[in-house]
Amino acid sequence: MTLVEFPAIAFAAAACWAAGSLLQIPARNSKAAGSFSWLFMLSGTLVLVWFLTSFWIALERPPLRTLGETRLWYATLIPVVGFLVEYRYRIGWLKYYCMGLATVFLGINYLHPDVFEKALMPALQSPWFVPHVVVYLVGYVLLAASAVSGWHNVMLDFRGKRSAKGEAMSHYLALLGFVLLTFGLIFGALWAKEAWGHYWTWDPKETWAFISWLAYLGYLHLVALKTDPRKLQWYLGLSFFVLLVCWFGVNYLPSAQNSVHTYSG
Amino acid sequence: MSGSKNSVKTGAAPAGFMEAALFTLVAILAGFGMELLSSGGGIDLPVWPFNLIVLILFGALILAVGLMFRERPLVAWLGGIPLGLSLIIGLALLSLIGGVLPQDKLPPDSPVAMLRLNGMFSSWSFALVTLLFLFNLGLSLVWKSVPFKVANLQFMLFHGGFWIALSCGLLGATQLERLVVPLYEGKASDVAYHRESEKAIHLPFSIYLKDFHIEQYAPKFALYDPANDRLVEPKSKLVPEIGKGVKVEWTNIGSVTVLDYLPSALPGANGVPVAVDGKKGVAFARVRIDENGKVSERWISSGGPQLKPLFVPMGSYFIVMADGAPKAFRSEVMLTGPGGEKRMETLEVNKPVDMQGWKLYQAGYDESAGRWSTLSLVEAVRDPWLPAVYVGFFMIMAGNVLFFWKGVKKMEAA
Repeated sequence: MTLVEFPAIAFAAAACWAAGSLLQIPARNSKAAGSFSWLFMLSGTLVLVWFLTSFWIALERPPLRTLGETRLWYATLIPVVGFLVEYRYRIGWLKYYCMGLATVFLGINYLHPDVFEKALMPALQSPWFVPHVVVYLVGYVLLAASAVSGWHNVMLDFRGKRSAKGEAMSHYLALLGFVLLTFGLIFGALWAKEAWGHYWTWDPKETWAFISWLAYLGYLHLVALKTDPRKLQWYLGLSFFVLLVCWFGVNYLPSAQNSVHTYSG
Repeated sequence: MSGSKNSVKTGAAPAGFMEAALFTLVAILAGFGMELLSSGGGIDLPVWPFNLIVLILFGALILAVGLMFRERPLVAWLGGIPLGLSLIIGLALLSLIGGVLPQDKLPPDSPVAMLRLNGMFSSWSFALVTLLFLFNLGLSLVWKSVPFKVANLQFMLFHGGFWIALSCGLLGATQLERLVVPLYEGKASDVAYHRESEKAIHLPFSIYLKDFHIEQYAPKFALYDPANDRLVEPKSKLVPEIGKGVKVEWTNIGSVTVLDYLPSALPGANGVPVAVDGKKGVAFARVRIDENGKVSERWISSGGPQLKPLFVPMGSYFIVMADGAPKAFRSEVMLTGPGGEKRMETLEVNKPVDMQGWKLYQAGYDESAGRWSTLSLVEAVRDPWLPAVYVGFFMIMAGNVLFFWKGVKKMEAA
């Protein structure tokens, strides 16, 4: 499976998510419609899992090198967070945001298709490659989910329908995301030591990884200070923009010209 | 994370977040003031053994203040969350400047250089905020560690690990040595250079480069559009790697099929490439070009030090061949220690080798010569404080696992 098939795959995934979401309306009264709804929504993600697996085989390397490839993982994993939250906490609305966000990422990849190549530069041929990127990606996915749920909570509050359960969920998603971000940061440092000789060089990408980490460290200390959770929803919603700069915005900053971490795509 | 219910009783903090934010701002401005006075000279951290002495004294000060004056309101404030949070924001803002502005050398009289915004991470502002942050972090750590409670283990591991990694990483930086050792095939050398000062230093061992070898991915071919100075994307969106039988199509332009591929060849007497062994040859491929029905067969080549590349036209475009990206590059070296002991090693990216307290890394080669390079650049790194920083890292990770566990437990209870 290659990028030639990507538009069809992206369309199939988005169509499955859309059909599953629409079927949630009759699902309120019909158990059968509910089952079909979940079948469609999970199929959307399974289509992407299948594509990622075949793409990995075709590339003969993990598809984790370019930004386009990481967006693909993002689109695959973020609806899973939505589904798990509904399964565990009976909070249904998050999955729609997650599927929406995943569709946006698929759309970006559709509009800017990358040419794919198998080459993997020697520095990336490391046992740390997969753990570092995957831990970071799952962390980003959880923090994205916490950001959208933060925005949702802000809107609920505006409408006078504040949800303590929703606020608790965005907090725990952020907490788990922070844990993974920390692992990602340290795995990256250990890898850099093996590849480049030093674990930290204040390269622009490293600096932004540190800033994003500090943003969430600040969040946890605000929680410890018993800050009004309504204000924290704003904080979580806005912190994600810092993470986006770290993910790909850093490539467009003046400091990026000397970075060893500017990945194309 | 700091607000666990197991906190030890401390004095009432006299001030809140506003005072803490103001205090942080003053520290940042004082740092900028120091930079202006020293024309952006930055901070010189103490060198060995003073870095260790400073660390021990600083640690002892935190311990003494934390244990003896823990109920004083000012001390409670100095080790409290509001100040910690303000300093985290201060560090984030200073890092933001360092993460946006290029951290390069600038004319010394430019305002950016005068404030050392182009060398943020060795500036007085950054150092002052970090010092205060370490003090705040250290105090909270002392309060959570004495008396010891298992319930505070996650806090101790995470915060203690961060304190160790940050303080040892910063103070150990003065002893970090990163040198470049240029090696030529068939020659031995013990001379290394500082990247910036270009000062030569003799290593306590010598390195003999027996062989430098580059493994490459298969060469690629591409369709070049000279009118727009760009490469035309193939129908398959795949970067075409050359191999016998490979066929690539470009929409409305035509297709190219590789009939024959010689990874290492030289032109024979009649101009037709003949396969040769080793590094002497260059890659050649015989291709069939189909310009919508108009078929021809030609040789293309990536060229090399002695031979020009061969590219052929297809309509208003050119079929060009480029060497594949390096897959691996490695140096076969013989290391000779001060006592004459010898050791054969292979240096490769991501696989450093230890020698006499130094770590040797395969760093680079003469990129203009590509796979014909006879120069290998090796980096020699010595960082005596690394074990301490790693202890910090592993403590953070252990704290992280507990944090994850606690988070999941709380979520399940929610």
